[in-house]
Amino acid sequence: MNAELAPTALAETAPLRRPPLGVWRQSWHRFRRNRAGMIGLFLVALVVLTAIIGPFAAPYDPNDQSAMLRGAAHAAPSARNWLGTDQNGYDVLSRGIYGAPTALAVGLGAMVIASLIGVLVGGIAGYVGGFVDEALMRGADFFMIVPIFVVILAVVRLFGIIVVGTALERIPNLNLMTIILLLGLFSWPPIARMARAEFMRLRHAEFVEAALCIGTTRRDILFRHILPNALPPLIVLVALGIGTAILTEAMVSFLGFGDPKSISWGQMLFFNYQALKVAPWACLVPGAAIFVTVLGFNLLADGLTDAFNPRVRG
Amino acid sequence: MGAFRFILRRLAFSAVLILGVSFILFALINAIGNPIQIMLAETPGVSDEMVATLSKFYGLDGNFIDRYWSWLWAILHFDFGTSIIYNQPVADLLQVWGMETLKIQLPGLVLSTLIATAAGVVAATKQHGWADFSIVSSAMLGHSLPGFLIGILLILIFSYWLGVLPSYGAYSTRNLFMGSIVIDGLWHMVLPVAMLTVFNTATLTLLMRSSLVDVLRQDYITAAWASGLPARRVVLHHALRNAFIPQLTYLGTLFGLMLGTAPVTETVFTWPGLGALYISAIQQLDYPVIMGETMIITVMLVLATLLTDIAYVAIDPRIRLA
Repeated sequence: MNAELAPTALAETAPLRRPPLGVWRQSWHRFRRNRAGMIGLFLVALVVLTAIIGPFAAPYDPNDQSAMLRGAAHAAPSARNWLGTDQNGYDVLSRGIYGAPTALAVGLGAMVIASLIGVLVGGIAGYVGGFVDEALMRGADFFMIVPIFVVILAVVRLFGIIVVGTALERIPNLNLMTIILLLGLFSWPPIARMARAEFMRLRHAEFVEAALCIGTTRRDILFRHILPNALPPLIVLVALGIGTAILTEAMVSFLGFGDPKSISWGQMLFFNYQALKVAPWACLVPGAAIFVTVLGFNLLADGLTDAFNPRVRG
Repeated sequence: MGAFRFILRRLAFSAVLILGVSFILFALINAIGNPIQIMLAETPGVSDEMVATLSKFYGLDGNFIDRYWSWLWAILHFDFGTSIIYNQPVADLLQVWGMETLKIQLPGLVLSTLIATAAGVVAATKQHGWADFSIVSSAMLGHSLPGFLIGILLILIFSYWLGVLPSYGAYSTRNLFMGSIVIDGLWHMVLPVAMLTVFNTATLTLLMRSSLVDVLRQDYITAAWASGLPARRVVLHHALRNAFIPQLTYLGTLFGLMLGTAPVTETVFTWPGLGALYISAIQQLDYPVIMGETMIITVMLVLATLLTDIAYVAIDPRIRLA
């Protein structure tokens, strides 16, 4: 009997000794116990580290085609080129490493745009409600049903022709920027829907009404009280969206509509796909890189879902 | 709100959506200038008159709004215009190449649904066992595997290393496999269908498992167990029906996704379908094909979404019409 009582008593007094952990700290504690999430975090960290340190550690310049001169294109992995060389005499390892910053720029860039639009549209729709809500959400539906990939392909190609001869042409990596912008423009609806639901839920929460009572300005209510509480589910969507954006850019580049001036995994696949039979490593390396990155972000999102919302799974 | 009004409202929204997409794309194609002029810019000996005549033939003269109207009017009469590159009616091209696309996508969809349902049932009923663990972890991996990487791996293994399956095209160009055009066609379908199946099965399995787990926890299932029904009947008859609902809504999305990413699938296997047609049309600025095909894909996508919404409401009376 006594043995059973002791822990209960301890649990009751515990909050008195130590203030309860904040939502973020609690989530981190739960996240750490989630195996899938931790693997995801590790993979994402690996890609981020590759992007930061990689360029200093890469054995060759990514634009070095000197292997062509010694007739060593399509060379199999060896001590000289750890992952072989490709169709154009590039070192596959170096090229693969330089693809990491591009991939992250695409994923983060697209999601920054998507979150800004999504939170703004969803937040307004959820907080204001009524006709505004209806109109904004129909707009979100529009972007949700459009065949994104097909439209992106056409727009990238057509835009590439439109800018010829204009001042825009001088922007470096314009083609890649167009792709990032399009990916952002097409991936905000899920974020907007979630933001709307959260803002609607929190609009009548007690702490918001309490804030209203003490005369908090509307701006502070929106940005200091509602938004931080609406963030957790949105972060999950952003993590998922980064993976999807990276994958979509890879597919666009694989089809030959990517940015010829930037080094991306999809581009590597595009250049080397015809030589798949002679130099499979030149396709497998970028393919594996895309897989690891997308898997990392998907697992991370999975772990975050559990961490923020422990009741979802029993 | 009655079911009729719900459908009517969705139809109206779909029409606006299709119009919107067509207008934006038409405006963009218009913004690049006269496609005929761009296409013939490098060709020597082309006079301005020839460009003018050709432009008139393809309906590229006159102002933007007039052209959009006449294009829209023609589309409403199922006249998609004539392809500049193939010199054939776009409607015929879409039909012929579309059949090739459906030929690999529909079997892929059916096969993956069957496999995913079986795997989902096993995983959900043996929750937290080794079968569940291996199904869920391979589905998690497969869910992140890009479609083209699956295709590349399949080609490497089955075409290049084992040499048993063709890696490209829908038919052999010289000797038909086993002397029959039907068997030869089926033989070429194996790898593309396998790629689409692997690609879809992962996501569908995860979905099936989680919805079945949810359903199995409900009171009516406990009641079914308590009434002494055999496990087979409880799971396959009572639980599976309700667990299918989220699956069903996802099938529409999946069909749209497959159609949308057909360019990738068909590039990997050099498959002569809608995706390959679309890529060549974009590269060569064959604008009637670009417009026609985008319209077809959008309409299919909208229809799939609409049908799943209606099916959703028809199947599950708990869902409110909104």
